[in-house]
Formats: sequence, structure tokens, C-alpha cells
Amino acid sequence: MQISNIGFWESWRQSQSITRKRVWVQMGGALSSLLPWQHILHAIEGKFGVGVKAYFVFLRYLVYLNLLNCTLTSGFILGPTAFYGRSISSGESAIMRDSKHLFGGNDSVLDFFLGTGYLERSPVFIGFYTRGSLDLPCLNTPLLYLAGILTMILLSLIMVVRRTIVGYKHTWMLGKRYSANMSYKIFCGWDFTIQDPASATLKHSFIRNDLKLFLEEQNFSMREAQRTLGQRVRLYLLRVILNLIVVSLLGGAFCLIYFATITSQSMIGWNWLVRLVLQYLPPMSITFVNLILPHIFRKISSFEDYSFTTQVNATLVRSIFLKLASLGMYLFFVLTTTKRHQCMENRFGREMYKLCIFNFLATFCNAFLLNYPRKLVQEKFPTSFLAWVLGKQRFLIPFNVLDLVYSQTVSWVGVYYCPLLPLIGTVTLIATFYIQKFVVMRCCVAEQRMFRASSSSVLFHFMLLLGLLMAAVTLGYSFHLQNIEPDINMSSCGPFQNGKTVFNVTKVCVESLPSPAPATLYYLSSEAFALPLILAEIIILTSYVSRGRANQKAIERLKDMLVMSSSDKRFLVKQHATMLRCRSKNRTKVHSAAVVEDNWQDPPSTH
Amino acid sequence: MGNKQTIFTDEQLDAYQDCTFFTRKEILRYVLRSVLQTVTPQLCNIKESESLNIITFAEDIQSKHFQGLHGRYHELAPHLVPMDYTNDPDCKLPLALIVNMPELKENPFRSRIVESFSEDGMGNLSFNEFVDMFSVLSEMAPRELKAIYAFKIYDYNVDNYLCKEDLEKTLNKLTKEELTPEEVELVCTKTIEEADLDGDSKLSYSDFENMITRAPDFLSTFHIRI
Repeated sequence: MQISNIGFWESWRQSQSITRKRVWVQMGGALSSLLPWQHILHAIEGKFGVGVKAYFVFLRYLVYLNLLNCTLTSGFILGPTAFYGRSISSGESAIMRDSKHLFGGNDSVLDFFLGTGYLERSPVFIGFYTRGSLDLPCLNTPLLYLAGILTMILLSLIMVVRRTIVGYKHTWMLGKRYSANMSYKIFCGWDFTIQDPASATLKHSFIRNDLKLFLEEQNFSMREAQRTLGQRVRLYLLRVILNLIVVSLLGGAFCLIYFATITSQSMIGWNWLVRLVLQYLPPMSITFVNLILPHIFRKISSFEDYSFTTQVNATLVRSIFLKLASLGMYLFFVLTTTKRHQCMENRFGREMYKLCIFNFLATFCNAFLLNYPRKLVQEKFPTSFLAWVLGKQRFLIPFNVLDLVYSQTVSWVGVYYCPLLPLIGTVTLIATFYIQKFVVMRCCVAEQRMFRASSSSVLFHFMLLLGLLMAAVTLGYSFHLQNIEPDINMSSCGPFQNGKTVFNVTKVCVESLPSPAPATLYYLSSEAFALPLILAEIIILTSYVSRGRANQKAIERLKDMLVMSSSDKRFLVKQHATMLRCRSKNRTKVHSAAVVEDNWQDPPSTH
Repeated sequence: MGNKQTIFTDEQLDAYQDCTFFTRKEILRYVLRSVLQTVTPQLCNIKESESLNIITFAEDIQSKHFQGLHGRYHELAPHLVPMDYTNDPDCKLPLALIVNMPELKENPFRSRIVESFSEDGMGNLSFNEFVDMFSVLSEMAPRELKAIYAFKIYDYNVDNYLCKEDLEKTLNKLTKEELTPEEVELVCTKTIEEADLDGDSKLSYSDFENMITRAPDFLSTFHIRI
């Protein structure tokens, strides 16, 4: 070993940089261990891989989102009402009339499930919040309520868009040419810290499955390229038929929901249990449809001869369309079948509340009444017919993520009508985390086909975004309805009752601002401003897209230059070697010629 | 306490610090368990060096690793490895002993790792090379150094290029030879296609380094904790 002195100063600097790095790593480690459930996620990753862990990470992210929404709600909505009270007004009588219609005015435990009775008069629904003693033109309870809801939606939008964009950047922008996935899998695939033989075997099988997935995709693209014309025509025909089947299934689902909604309206003359079931009929039918149809879509897409990733994505797209459309249809039916001068906002809120509760109940029952018995059958009677029919359980990541997205969408759509929905969402999500952890760890085996989570995770976040957009559209539509025919559509409860609609309240606030502000605000919200704004956005977007394309071309050029420079190097080395050889050959020729000359000129002298 | 134990002189410690990535404190960190295990009657003839600071338990609980590493090295072959290193003894441990360490036992590349750190290329490590190996694989080592040694590890035929045969051997070690030869061929072709920049259908060190510096989890996977 060579001992070399690098001097005191250099050695001190090196040791300082090492200490700094260690401090950073320790801080990062401490912070990430503060994150809740970190050790559970670690255990799940070790046993089931990155895909299942991604589901739980997504769940945790939704918990954070809901917690943020909760704090906003309590700040903007609950706080002012708690401090400044509320005025008892005609809204209360509308609620009284409504609840009498349902239950004869008696409160009971069922109210918790149905959202009627004492819950209806509680802060859970919008009807509770009225214009209290805080009554300044620009700082009053209704305006704060509106501001809270809008801030919540805006913040959620920013967070979800940011996550979608980051995912998109990583997955698609890098493209197949710049991402060296196979090289990373081979050279960074093995985790050198593994010391346990069981984890080593698991890691080997993960790597093997990953590679097999890639190979399968290669096989598929080769097969696809070799399809003859006849095969292609038949395949497209098959795909059209299957899509028609999908559309008809969707239509059937919507009809089912419509009939369920109509049936749940008729309430007269039944006892309480039947009434409970009838009230929950729409959520039950929606959940039933959402449970069965995605599996049917999965079966259908396996006939369509796509690659595995495309199959998963196609099923996901169809399922999300089903979920969002069924929710939208349901809202539409509720809107058209509610009679006026009842507290319609509370009705909406009640439906969303019921959907939320029922989702959670469905998850709970699914885990304990379906998954756990199935696992028990597998364990106790492994060779029976039942066990063979049921098969081993796998944790289907796409469907579970869809459930999460759907429940979050319901939470967003209903937050205006039921401000405590984020709180309910947080509690149910935390309970769902533990339930799903139980299902995964105890009842499921590791999935053999590795699900390529990266491209689908962008799809999940995009679906979340779609849900948020649907919530925003619903809200905007209901404000618009309030505005167009104020006499007919007047709301009779809540902070915007009796003619003081959303637009009225904001107009009052805007007009009370100091002088240049109202005029500028009116200008900003008019069409004269919208058109230049759109034009400016188009120009900025075009400049970014063209800059991106130019960079891509530059990268291609640089790669070609690299290849050419190395072939130049090889050529020059060959030239150099050839020249050296020639020169040495010439030298020996010259030398031997000189020797011959010498010999000729100088006859060998005898020594 | 207050045992003034020396196994190394001060100059040796300075030299080790300069050449490895443990700080002085870390070099003198010792694992209590290893030290207690390695205390033998020979240590009663303790030589103190005047300039060596007293490392006591209470004073510097962090001064561990060097004595700890020596303890581990000694554990592998107690009859071969002397406790007293102040005279720079020359002993090498064979490949078979080192490859059975718990940190390396499950690693599919363990023989290559040990071979690439040994001077004779056969896997016989002296203590200095042993320390080198664990210091490069520790979390402190910089990325460039890890990349150099990773290249050496994956280069089975030691020709300074990662050719197709090297990749095939790597892949077989990774998957325990459960892929068919055509599949292995396909994967290796794809890898070379991705990473080869100068078009000679094998990976030189610059290709490898270019690819590995962009890998997000290279540092976290190429790391052994001892």
C-alpha cells in the first residue's frame, strides 16, 4: 500500500464534507422515519414489491390531502360559525319539514347511516350554516364558506396537477431512447445489503419476473408485426364487437342506477328496515355495478390481444369512465327528481354522505366476508373443488386504486354540501389502510406478473384530476342554476338562502371594495380579457413545445457526434499504426540498402 | 477503563485515513463486541505510541471501525491473522474464507467483488485490501469510485470492456440461470443497445459510467453495511 501525504488542509476538508454528507443522510433518514407507517410500507415492499407499496403510498398521500382539506374546513367554515354563532331562520323550518317527511320527526341510531334527524341539524350538512353575527359586506360567514370551499378545491388541484406532471415527466418525456431501463435492472438490480436468504430468493424472483415481463412485451411486439391482413381484419372486428358489449354493459348499469333512484323515492308505508334498505338502494346498486363490471372488463380486454400493459390501461380507462359516469348520472337523477322548496342542498349532501359510508362498509365487508374466508378455505381445504374454483388471492392494484380515486371524488363532489366530508374521508382512509394491510399481509400471495406501475401511476393521478374536475363542474353548475332563475331555484337553507345567492354575496363584497378594484375585477371576469389571456397562453405553450423539440434534436445530434468521434479515433489509430509500420519497413529497407551499398563500396576488408 | 491499546501506530492510522473514506474518528471506532472478542493474552504486551491519543470508551464511543474491521478480519482466521499490526505483517486470507462472511454470503457477485479488490486477482486479500473493499462499498465513498469498482466487478474476463459474455454471466448470476439462452441473448442485446454510445457493441468504462451516473438507485444498492 502506498502511503502518500495529502496535507492537513485537504484532509480536513474531506473529513468535513464526509461529516456533512452523513448529517444530511441522517436527517433525511430521520424525516422519512417520522412519516407514518414507514416500517409497514417497508415490510410490504419486501414481501410484495414496489407496485403494492405504491398503492399504500397513494393511500397515505390521500390521507394528507384530506387532512389539509379538514384544516381548511375548520378554519374557514367551522371557526367563524363557532365564534360568531348563527341566526335561526327559515332554513330550519325547511329542514324540519324535510325530516318529518322521512321519519316522522323521531331521531334514532339509523340517522347516523342515513344522514337524517339529528345529523341533519348538525354541522355535518350545509343547512346548519347561516349568516351569523359576522355580517360585514366583505367578511361574512357565507363568503368565508365559499372561500373555504374554493381554496380547498384550488389547493387540491395544484397538488394533484403537480404530482401528475412529475410522474408524466419521469415516464413519458424521458422516452425509450433516454431511459436505460434494462441497464439499470441489470447493473443496479441487486441490492447489496441483502443478508437474509429468504429476501435473496425473493429478490431473485422479482428480477426474473421483471425481465420476463419485458421479454413478453418483446414477443408481443414481434407477433404484432407479423400479423397478416386477414388476421388484422378479424382482430379489429372482434375489438369493435367487444367495445359494443362494453357500451351496452355501461348502458345497462346506468339504467339499473336510475331504477334504484326512482325506487328509493317511494317511502310510504314500510317499516324501518325496508326503508333503510330502500334509502341505501342507489349506493348499493352503484357499488354493485362498480364491483362486478371492472372484472368483466378485465376478462374482455384479455380477448382483445393487446400487450399486458395496454390491457391493464384499457381496463382502467373503462372502469374509471364507469365510476365517474355512474356518479354523474346519479347526481343528475337526484337533481331532476328533487322537488323544490325542500332543502335540496341537504339532500345532495345526504346522498354523498351515504355513498361515502357505504363505500367504507363495502371495503370492510369485502375484506372480512370475502377475502378472509377465501383464505381460510385455501388453508384448510387446499385440495377441495371450492379451493380450485376460487384460486389464490392476489392483490389487484388497479382496482384498489380505482376505489380510492372514486371515494376521493365523492368526497370532493360532496364537500360543498357536507363540509365535514373530508374529516369522514380521513377517518375512513386510515381505517382502510389497516384493513388493506390485513388483507395484503394475511390473505394474498405475491403477484407473479409484475405490474408495470410507472405508466399507470400517471393514469391514476390523471383520474384523480378528472374526479376533481367533475367536482368543480358540478359546483359551477349548481351556482349557475341558482343564478339563472332565482325565483324557482332559490335555496331555502344554508348560507346562501332566500335570494342571497352566491353571486349576490360576492357582488356585494366586490362593490364594497375601494374604487379601482370593482372596475378591474369586472374587467378581469369579462370576455374582453379572456380572449387575450387565451392567446397569450397559446403563445407561451408553443414556445415551450418548440424549445423542447429543439433540445431533442440537439441530443440526437450530440449522440451521433459521439459515435462518429469514436469511429474517427479508431480510424486515426489504425492510420497511425499503418504509418508506423511503413516507416519502420522503410527504415529497414533503407538500412539494408545502406548496408548493401556499404558492402559494395567497401569491399570487406580482411581483418 | 483507560486501556491504551494500540494495534496500529499513528502514522499507519493517518495513512489509512487518507486512503480510505473513514474519518479519523470512524477509523478508531470500534465495535465493543469485536474488541472484547479480540482481546487476547497477546495484548498484554501493549506498546504505546507516544503520539497516539488515548482512545477510551467513555471519551470517544464513536471511535470504532478500524479496530472493528480488524476484529472481523481476525475472526475469519484467528490462527492466521496476528493481533499486532505495528510491524506491518504480510498475511493474506484466501477467497473461500472471505466469501463466507454474512455480509457477502447471499450476494451473487461475491467472488467477483473479492477478486476485484485483490492485488493478485485471485481473491486473496490482505488486511489493507479488506479495508479498501469495505470502504469503497460503504455509504461514504463517492459515486465515481463506486462506478470504477462496479465496472471491475462486472468485467469477468478483465479486458476493460463489458462485452456480451460478461453481461451474460452477470445476468445468469442475477437470475440464477432461470432464463433460456435466447432470452439471455435478447436482454444482453438490449442492454448493449441502450448503453453503448461509441458503437463497438461492447461497453467501455465511459459508456458504463455515463449510464450508471444517471441511475437513480445505484448508490443505495451498491452499498454494504458492516
